Amino acid sequence: MAHVTSIQYEPVAEIGGGAYGTVYKARDTESGKFVALKSVRVPTDQNGLPVSTVREVALLRRLEQFDHPNVVRLMDVCATQRSNQETKVTLVFEHVDQDLKTYLERTPAPGLSPDCIKDLMRQLLCGLAFLHSNRVMHRDLKPENILVTSQGQVKLADFGLARIYSCHMALTPVVVTLWYRPPEVLLQSTYATPVDIWSTGCIFAEMFRRKPLFCGESEVDQLGKIFEVIGLPPEEEWPTDVTLSRKNFSPLMPRPITDFVAEINEQGAELLLKMLTFDPLKRISALNALEHSYFQDEETLTQTKS
Amino acid sequence: MSNVQLSCSALERLVARRTFPLHRRTSVCRNLFGPVDHEELNREMKVKMREISERDQQRWNFNFEANTPLVGDYEWEEVPVDKTPVFYQDSVQNGRTRVPATPTKQMSTSDSVLPETPRLDVLERLAVPESSSGPCPVEVNQENRTDKLNSGRPTHRTVPCVRRKRTTTTDNNTHITDFFVKRKRPADRKSNDMGACHVSKSPIPVEQTPRKRIR
Repeated sequence: MAHVTSIQYEPVAEIGGGAYGTVYKARDTESGKFVALKSVRVPTDQNGLPVSTVREVALLRRLEQFDHPNVVRLMDVCATQRSNQETKVTLVFEHVDQDLKTYLERTPAPGLSPDCIKDLMRQLLCGLAFLHSNRVMHRDLKPENILVTSQGQVKLADFGLARIYSCHMALTPVVVTLWYRPPEVLLQSTYATPVDIWSTGCIFAEMFRRKPLFCGESEVDQLGKIFEVIGLPPEEEWPTDVTLSRKNFSPLMPRPITDFVAEINEQGAELLLKMLTFDPLKRISALNALEHSYFQDEETLTQTKS
Repeated sequence: MSNVQLSCSALERLVARRTFPLHRRTSVCRNLFGPVDHEELNREMKVKMREISERDQQRWNFNFEANTPLVGDYEWEEVPVDKTPVFYQDSVQNGRTRVPATPTKQMSTSDSVLPETPRLDVLERLAVPESSSGPCPVEVNQENRTDKLNSGRPTHRTVPCVRRKRTTTTDNNTHITDFFVKRKRPADRKSNDMGACHVSKSPIPVEQTPRKRIR
């Protein structure tokens, strides 16, 4: 396989000393474990690394000490100054072979079993509850940055230093998906940890559908797609600090969620709706979601079985 | 009382930071340790940086500066980005934004992403008998196995606050702790913060989009 890759991908040019379009991955010959490097190039000035970056690194390292099973392991952080304007921060992560996106794509026809979905969801929420209880929000949760090991273990990735600041996204040429964004972010209102629960809801639905729930092409389009499912929220729930008025959207009634997520059971549908709640303050929290009857019923089931 | 002292010294530090090294020191900023030899400091910092870099390089047998693998315990290989999760892709911190450094196909396309001819590793994965619960690949996988798997068995959400300290010891030596009940060690703060999220109904640490803090 190594042969194939080296033939298929000849290094064409090196940009700034880094190989382009490749990822460095290594096997620890002692433990047999795999690691991968992820570099973040950070602009610096005479004061060195921006305080925000230092803070992010400190936070990532602190989180790492908890060794949470549903968060990707960060083994080291190595900084090298490349020029007066730029420092390269290399994060050494454990390597996981696939993310939830490829996992779902590779799932054969009937799709994931309800038990498998429940298990993935429980792990996802565990990881999220851990981040939230440490005052970290992910902000860009999507199938691409949820890693799934060959053993079916879920590991959240791409938060902290690696997180994306949505409000500046419009300034960059890169297309970033809006599909998992909650209404408050789309409306550019203030937001907090409930953003991740919205994204989790979208992902929950996608596990059944094997295709995304809301595929908007712009912020307004995304909101429109959301309201087609959950209905247009009442005026009193519309945030006051936003420029986009509620009048821009046609008055829609909520439709049954099972119209969009057919295979979901009753408790699952109830939990999904609590996640896809327009008002972030009314949206369920990660910890409360773990307490939801959707998860409880399996626990009692396995207890009676054993 | 301790609060007042804290904020005072914090203020002083702030002032010191603002005035250093560009402005003259004000009376608030006292020179306690003599003049700073900036050149020497700079030199020392460079030496320290080098030491750290060398340690990193040795630990991972990887030259981070030149971005090249070295010989050692880690067997490095270069993998094309589309064969690893997008997450491992390099990125550039652009202001407060992070963008992928590599212009690969982005996640904008919908369900049409599956390639017509599955690549080698996909085939390898698919060649394996599937279990009922979806894709459960295989030995080809190059990733780490953790023993403390969080899957399969019903977890009891033990996880969010792993390191919570318990202060139940108070029962044993009441007469001693009586004197100290009101003292809070700063080290306890972390555990308190995390404990709080179990108690409060909505553990929502509110954060606003642009975080403005005093530097």
